[in-house]
Amino acid sequence: MAAQQLLIDQALLEKLERLTLHWQKSFPGLVGGRNASRFSGPGQEFLDHRHFHQGDDYRAVNWRAFLRLEKLLLKLFQVEPRIPVRILIDSSASMGTGEVPKFNYACKLAAALTYVGLVRLDTVCLQAFSDTLAGSCNCGGGRHRFLPAVHFLNDLQLSGSSNFLQVARQFSSNYPQRGLVVIVSDFLDENDPEKPLQYIADLGHELLLVHIWAPEDREPPWTGELDLVDAESGVHLEIDANDQTRAAYTKAFDDYAKRLQTLAMRTGGRYVGLPANIPVEEAIFGPVMRVGGLQ
Amino acid sequence: MFLLNLSPLEFLAIFGALSAFVVTLYLLSRSRKRQKVATLRFWAQAQAPVVSKQRRRIQQPLSLLLQILSIALLLLAIGQLQWGTRDDAARDHVLLLDTSSWMSARVGNTTLLQDAKAKAKAYVESLPASDRVMVVRAEGLPGPATGMEEDRRAVETAIDDSRPGAAALDLQQAFAFAEQVRRLHARRAGDVVYIGPGRVSEEGLPLQTPVGLRVIPVETGKVDNIGLTRVGLRRSDRDPEVWNVFVTVRNYGALPRTTPLAVQFGGAPIANKAVVVPAAKTEEFSFPFRTKAAGWIEARLLEKDSLPEDNRAVLEIPALKTAKVAVFTNEPEALRPALRAHPQIEATFYPTAQYRTDVPAAVVILDRFSPEAPPKIPTIWLEPPTPSPFRARTKVTDAKIVRWRADHDLAAGLRSQDIRVPEAQVYATAQGDISVAETDAGPIVVARPSTRAVVLGFHPGRSDLKFDLVTPLLLANILRWFEPDVFRLYDLHGGTSGTVTATLDDDAEPGSVKVIGEQQQLPFTMEGRTVRFFAGAPQTVRVISSGREQVHSLSLPDIAVTAWEAPRSAFRGIPGAVERAVSRDLWRYLAILGALGLLAEWLIYGRQRNRARTVAPAAVEEVSMRQAS
Repeated sequence: MAAQQLLIDQALLEKLERLTLHWQKSFPGLVGGRNASRFSGPGQEFLDHRHFHQGDDYRAVNWRAFLRLEKLLLKLFQVEPRIPVRILIDSSASMGTGEVPKFNYACKLAAALTYVGLVRLDTVCLQAFSDTLAGSCNCGGGRHRFLPAVHFLNDLQLSGSSNFLQVARQFSSNYPQRGLVVIVSDFLDENDPEKPLQYIADLGHELLLVHIWAPEDREPPWTGELDLVDAESGVHLEIDANDQTRAAYTKAFDDYAKRLQTLAMRTGGRYVGLPANIPVEEAIFGPVMRVGGLQ
Repeated sequence: MFLLNLSPLEFLAIFGALSAFVVTLYLLSRSRKRQKVATLRFWAQAQAPVVSKQRRRIQQPLSLLLQILSIALLLLAIGQLQWGTRDDAARDHVLLLDTSSWMSARVGNTTLLQDAKAKAKAYVESLPASDRVMVVRAEGLPGPATGMEEDRRAVETAIDDSRPGAAALDLQQAFAFAEQVRRLHARRAGDVVYIGPGRVSEEGLPLQTPVGLRVIPVETGKVDNIGLTRVGLRRSDRDPEVWNVFVTVRNYGALPRTTPLAVQFGGAPIANKAVVVPAAKTEEFSFPFRTKAAGWIEARLLEKDSLPEDNRAVLEIPALKTAKVAVFTNEPEALRPALRAHPQIEATFYPTAQYRTDVPAAVVILDRFSPEAPPKIPTIWLEPPTPSPFRARTKVTDAKIVRWRADHDLAAGLRSQDIRVPEAQVYATAQGDISVAETDAGPIVVARPSTRAVVLGFHPGRSDLKFDLVTPLLLANILRWFEPDVFRLYDLHGGTSGTVTATLDDDAEPGSVKVIGEQQQLPFTMEGRTVRFFAGAPQTVRVISSGREQVHSLSLPDIAVTAWEAPRSAFRGIPGAVERAVSRDLWRYLAILGALGLLAEWLIYGRQRNRARTVAPAAVEEVSMRQAS
């Protein structure tokens, strides 16, 4: 990535300023966000009543109700909390395969989402991972903090193989606060990544799975006698590829993508699949907005 | 059918090596292809791994067959596969284009050479493209205009650049040259093609014709020509100022002709006469005229005919040179008769008292006078008193000349043995001196070449010697010895270019003969008194021998008079379509077929491979949309 700089033109950035990162879950947190939460807080809009418990703030007691009912009821207010946004970028070796560079595409997409979050004063954490969590970059406070994020993305290197289980473990320990977790990856793990993703979702995070694939990842063009080499593990597989094989391959890929989508929707998250040969702008204003990742 | 550039073994060796190379590449390229992929999990689900038992088997034999066939076709094209037998392969031809003087004759609106050029181009166009042609311009001497050329444009340019020459055709030399070219430069001997009317000089009639001779005749039609063949000028022996003009006219036609002949000198007419020349005959006419000046003499036939180049001849008459002689004598009347006898001597008499060394003369005569400062120019000393450059040994009276140095120019023509000298001085000779005349007592006429001086021990005008012929002859010999250019005899000839024959005087020394052209000395042969040389272009050639100079103004074209008949064994005319079709080049078609084969292989097999690598973006988008939803 050092040699291949991120190229997001000014026109796209101007278009991105109209968007907002959106999540569906209600997260507790301090005021300052835009998505309403079912958790009460120091908001302005009335939400509910509950019984007063020792230690509650007397200022929130509904004294009119106490006079009428002689019970201490506390007024609850709706809050729009600030939620941490964490973007996990797959930097495993499999992201470097394909004629269209997936990793570059993933970085561009991550940079675009980061810019959207910074514009809305969200706190965005860029986190690279392969078999474990790698370097991270925390940025927030406005669009002028976008440049460090770009430098971070430019400095990322492809290495290692994907290990979602290990990554989920480290993530749960490193980021206890619940928030929006955007995972930009090809989700090609030798072990099944569904359980680790489910584990992250069970901890209260909202998942936005951005599935990126190269065209040949989904529809391999090769036929004949092939000696296939796994980009991450280096394992060889000799097969005779024909049209039927390729069709079966595509079906297996689609089934896998479907399972990822099912997982995301089951956990209250969202899934978007993006081939790396469509432009980033088209992907953001198309599939990503359609699934509600951005509004 | 055969290969022009390759032998069958060479073809098989190259084809075998290329085929083996292609098959090896094919097996390597079509073997199991290594491909790096993002994951193997979907492949494993799609199909169980299969390990091929025959890793090097050919999967697309038709593709390989098409490639090898295309390579074979291209190799055959490189080897220049020829249709027919090897004997009919590309040949090297020598084209002898007649550019002799006869080719400038006009027949109708065109010249014979233009007709020959058109036929030469037609012949060249009729040849197969692989044949090579050398254009040789044939006239008196054959000259190559090109090398062995395949480039038809260069050949046609050489044909177009040909101009009629001035010499007659020497077909014998042209054929010998063509044979030599074929022997030294030809890959495969082709035709020797002669294009012309076949009018050759007598010396140029071919004794034998080359093998494979083809004659493309140029029809002369009715060439009606009468022309000058020779113009000569000779100074009269009696009067140096009188010239005799000899004009030789030849009628090349079949009927007697009467034609006006005009001779002019410096624009002034000398003679104007209607001459009658019988058919195929040569007539000579002579006209005397008197002139002392230099100038051009022109002979012209005032008639239009087919060949106007030989109707006019020009000769240059040199000016009559004189030798200026200064005579220092106190008795001029004694020498005046002897010196006035020759018109080319301008004698000026001075008293001895007026002697000076810078006298304007070419020769000085000192009559019984020995100046302190001797002259620096050639000098004739008559009885010089002491001191003089010649030492007198004794004096004799009534002496008889008993010996002349007959082998020297100074005594040329002097053989008289009865000359008696009343009184004479006898001189002692130094080294290098030539004793011209001797008495019994010793030499009385001595020449000294080192100082260009001659001493006479007697006075030629004082006694009866002045009545003897010996006196002017001796003085003339001495003056000629001093000034040979002045007294050289001139013969002027106007002739034709080509081989020229000149006849020398009886006393001409072979060592003194020179043949000088306008640019340089010309090589010549000498047989007895006959000198032969060759002048290929119109020019003025001087043949100089002792005492005589012949000026050959070769301004007339050498017209051949002998008609050559081609042998029956010679091919005739431009080869026709049947002859041309014997040998055909196939390499173009083979190259096209080979290229088409490779293109078809790529379209059928190669493009499919490339197409399989490309995923249509529209299809991907459709899938992505479906996936995203």
